[in-house]
Amino acid sequence: MTDDRSRDLPSVQTLGQASQARLTMSKTAERNRMLSTSPARFLKRGAGLVALAVVLAACASDAELNTRADLAGPEAIQIENFTTWILIVTYVVFALVMGATFWAWHKYRIKTDDYEDDEFPAQIDHNTTAEILFNGIPIAILVVVGFFTFLLHWELNGENDVNPITVDVAGQAIDWEPEIVVVGQQWWWEYQYHFGDVELTAQRVENLPNADITTATQMVIPVGQEIELEVTSRDVIHSHWIPALNGKRDAVPGRQSAPWKIQADEPGVFFGQCTEFCGLSHSRMRMQVIALEMPEFQAWVSAQMQGVALDAETQAYVDQLVAGDTPAPENSSQRAVATFRGKCASCHLLEGVADDLWSAERVAEQLVSGAAPNLTHFASRTTFAGGIVNVYDPDTGDFNENDLRAWLRNPADIKANFTEPVSADDPRLRGMPNLNLTTEEVDDLVGLLEAAGERPSDFIIQETGVE
Amino acid sequence: MAIIERPLAIGPGDSAETVKRPLGSLTRPQQTGSWKDWLSTVDHKKIGIMYGVTAMFFFVIGGAEALLIRIQLATPNGTLLSPEVYNQVFTMHGVTMIFLVIMPLAAAFANYLLPLQIGARDVAFPRMNALSFWIFLFGGVFLNTSWLLGGGADGGWFNYAPNSSVTFSPTHGIDFYALGLQITGLASLVSAINLIVTVLNMRPKGMSLFRMPVFTWMNLVVQFLLLFAVPVISIALFQLTFDRLFGANFFNTEAGADPLLWQHLFWIFGHPEVYILILPSFGIISEVIPTFSRKPIFGYRAMVFSGIAIGFMGWGVWAHHMFVSGIGPISVIAFSISTMFIAVPTGVKILNWLATIWGGKLRFTTAMLFAVGVVSMFTIGGLSGVTHSIAPADTQQTDTYYIVAHFHYVIFGGALLGIFSGFYFWWPKMFGYMLNERVGKWNFWLQIVGFNVTFGPMHILGLQGMSRRIDTYDAGFGFEFWNLIASIGAFIIAAGIAIFFWNISYSRKQWKKAGMPNPGPDPWDARSLEWMTASPCPEHNFDEEITVEGPDEFWHRKYGEDEHGNIVRIATAEEVAHDGSNTNVHLPSPSYFPIILALGLPIVAYGLIYSLWLCIPGAALIVYGIVGWIFEHPDDPNAAHGHDDHHDDGDDHAELDAGDEQAELEPAEEPEEGELVGAGAPMLNDESVTEGTEA
Repeated sequence: MTDDRSRDLPSVQTLGQASQARLTMSKTAERNRMLSTSPARFLKRGAGLVALAVVLAACASDAELNTRADLAGPEAIQIENFTTWILIVTYVVFALVMGATFWAWHKYRIKTDDYEDDEFPAQIDHNTTAEILFNGIPIAILVVVGFFTFLLHWELNGENDVNPITVDVAGQAIDWEPEIVVVGQQWWWEYQYHFGDVELTAQRVENLPNADITTATQMVIPVGQEIELEVTSRDVIHSHWIPALNGKRDAVPGRQSAPWKIQADEPGVFFGQCTEFCGLSHSRMRMQVIALEMPEFQAWVSAQMQGVALDAETQAYVDQLVAGDTPAPENSSQRAVATFRGKCASCHLLEGVADDLWSAERVAEQLVSGAAPNLTHFASRTTFAGGIVNVYDPDTGDFNENDLRAWLRNPADIKANFTEPVSADDPRLRGMPNLNLTTEEVDDLVGLLEAAGERPSDFIIQETGVE
Repeated sequence: MAIIERPLAIGPGDSAETVKRPLGSLTRPQQTGSWKDWLSTVDHKKIGIMYGVTAMFFFVIGGAEALLIRIQLATPNGTLLSPEVYNQVFTMHGVTMIFLVIMPLAAAFANYLLPLQIGARDVAFPRMNALSFWIFLFGGVFLNTSWLLGGGADGGWFNYAPNSSVTFSPTHGIDFYALGLQITGLASLVSAINLIVTVLNMRPKGMSLFRMPVFTWMNLVVQFLLLFAVPVISIALFQLTFDRLFGANFFNTEAGADPLLWQHLFWIFGHPEVYILILPSFGIISEVIPTFSRKPIFGYRAMVFSGIAIGFMGWGVWAHHMFVSGIGPISVIAFSISTMFIAVPTGVKILNWLATIWGGKLRFTTAMLFAVGVVSMFTIGGLSGVTHSIAPADTQQTDTYYIVAHFHYVIFGGALLGIFSGFYFWWPKMFGYMLNERVGKWNFWLQIVGFNVTFGPMHILGLQGMSRRIDTYDAGFGFEFWNLIASIGAFIIAAGIAIFFWNISYSRKQWKKAGMPNPGPDPWDARSLEWMTASPCPEHNFDEEITVEGPDEFWHRKYGEDEHGNIVRIATAEEVAHDGSNTNVHLPSPSYFPIILALGLPIVAYGLIYSLWLCIPGAALIVYGIVGWIFEHPDDPNAAHGHDDHHDDGDDHAELDAGDEQAELEPAEEPEEGELVGAGAPMLNDESVTEGTEA
């Protein structure tokens, strides 16, 4: 599983240090043999530890965020190939500099005790040839490096060759130039799919925040297609990074970034992490890109265009609630939709259950970022809570009820959050507060969310586990 | 300088009262030998030492913060620090280490050594020198009091908008950050102007610019960088302060602001800042390496010009911090290339140090070990820097631990190791005893091994995809092993630093036990003028003005060439050096007004945060400090002059007077009228005084 290159890097770096330590050690050891507590002795023993570290590093488990192994995107692979060359250049330069240093150390060192007042080396204070070379060699290296950097940069940032693909959206064949709007907010990612001229039901057009499909923490893309990303933010600056596919791009509020693209050449789940410091839960702001073969992607799009599928009784109950009646709920799912409409719907959208209660303006009054994750297809996702909790257990494939319960009981236990309003004058929240739900309400909502959306394939669920 | 060493012609009828009691409130302080002297001193050496002591105090705080970070990250899902506290700790670690440790440590050496290296009596504006120290001290204390008043800043040292707004950081931490850095920035500005004027105007006869030691040169470049960079961050910090405290909208995206404005302002300051941190250290090792190689520095002019080139090019690379911010492909590639080429002057420096070592007679004292450590470690930092300059690669590397590794190799491996080299090198000059070499080597080896064990693995972690500024990480991403190693390394560094502190007292005791033999003026067989006076350096620096005939003046007074071109000793250091016995030097008088003025600044800052009423006493203190300063006679004619003053003893000054007349003949040194008094200044009367321009 581990790519050879991922082993290379640690060992090369550590070997550099180890050999350096060993070299210095042998010199000093020689000099200070008489001193039992000399630093050199300790270093000698330390060298063994360094060697051990090298061995262990080679065994270190592969990393899902690794920038140099298990890459699946052509951009990431191009960057990695170039980086490999650059690292070789730097290793060579470093080896030369360190070699010269240790050679000089070895050859020109005199013991302080042997220091003779009248012995002088040649007092060379300049040498025009050498000094021209000292400038010329770095310039020559950098001109070459700069040239290839320019070429690669242009290739990665040049005209996007995004090919339109035909997607069936709500029964209409749409030529979609794959473009996904990526919106960061504290501390989760929203992905919006705009398919163009799709005729939607009046209800959806009115309520959908911005897009035909809106997901959270998970971007689903077709394999082998270049996808253009429009990255922006609703509050502070974030940075969107899927190391296996491409480098990162900042999400800057009020700015639409220069286009950025990703492409996955094989199906799978690719991990990401917000990389621009964005406040309290920056470390807990993650995301996954799921690359699907075209038919599966098509199926996913079709599913995402549906609301929550409720059984007839519950649907009837919802209809009554929408009409303004308040009948007493009779079972768990009826209680769940009532609870959702009462306590969740002012921020979260659940199509088919609480469309009428949700509006972008209303959310903006409640939340600093102005958006909460669309929960309509919660169960089709791999993670929740900003990408830090799996929706399904990757080993057993079971719906992860326990963590979802814990989250609903008190989100701040799972993920650091500002649960207080901004200030006395500004009642907006920055995260999901503790709604003080009863155990029964929590259980009901877990059932509702488990039914919201289609379960992803077992392959995807397995891949979402780390290690 | 001339006025400082020349007794003022004071008539018996001069009113000593107005001089002694400006505003009738404060008696002119006298140096009495008690600790209170330190509060009013204007002696550049005492101020330098105070800078050093204060910075080392903050170093302990910043180091403790670093250890907390490393304990937290030693294992996955660390729970030592909550996310709130972690964000404050890493922010304050960076702010402390940059603004309160490395910069003031560089200022400590610059203050102490610049006047000595150019052969001057003191800095151009001694009271302003005291002012800049006290402003720095109070600013640093102010910044750290945030810990006791609801928590430190939590936006990172770079403090990107809009995460720095009240909405996203409602505590006062970032107010302390903005005002604290504003205050310490003022200290840097005052000090920059002072040192620039000192270097340009206070050089004695013969000390042309290209005879100055490289250390002096590098510090001159740094002072210019400060002079132009600090105002940029000051503006940004004012805007931030107005946003946070008075509801302005400079960075409020809801009101249409562009958050990249802060990034541009911050990095236009922030990148030159990197060179502000590293160049003093380059200067230090450019003194240490020739001394212990027994050779002159190789390519002196290339060293100077590469330093100047870094100073200039440092202004054209700031946007490499913003490669992924979406500034557009053309800007990115332009800054990518410009950044790449700043490696040329730094490369020249590395190669010149190697060429200096090459063919020398190397004594690996602790100072030399640290200096060679800088050459090697900075090479790593420089090379990883080149890998970031490649914009496509940087999109993977930026904001990961690879960057953390890079800048620690530059700032710790470059700047801090260089400063430690300077400690071991100049300690005898500053304190009159040598630091123990054997303990020093323990210090060095622990520090360099710990350093590589800590920051080496961060290269790997970064390329494995570990983001910066994360308070925890999950198991399973492959981050566990190297984080644990890095945390172990941090404690090895801490042990090395602890040994350094211990060495200070241990060596002192050893020297005392051995009857405190003076290390002599020149314990290392060194080259520049600061070694041409007694150790510790007497208050008046040099007994008489030095006439300089070439670079490495002191060394050339010790050594000459025989008829075969071989180098032979012509004089011992003791013969050449001044013994500090001249009692006939008039020194600038101490003053309380710098500390009073400086004390007003944090009070105003507290007032801005908590209650504007508090600004009134703070502002009153500042006004009092300024007015008192203006009316205070810069030179107290009644104060003791040096050791034992002889105002009326004209004969003693014959030699000095002659020196001055000679100096007057040198047009390059001619000061402008009554201002910026330099070495060749003509006789001064009471009105035209050293600090004339300050008021």
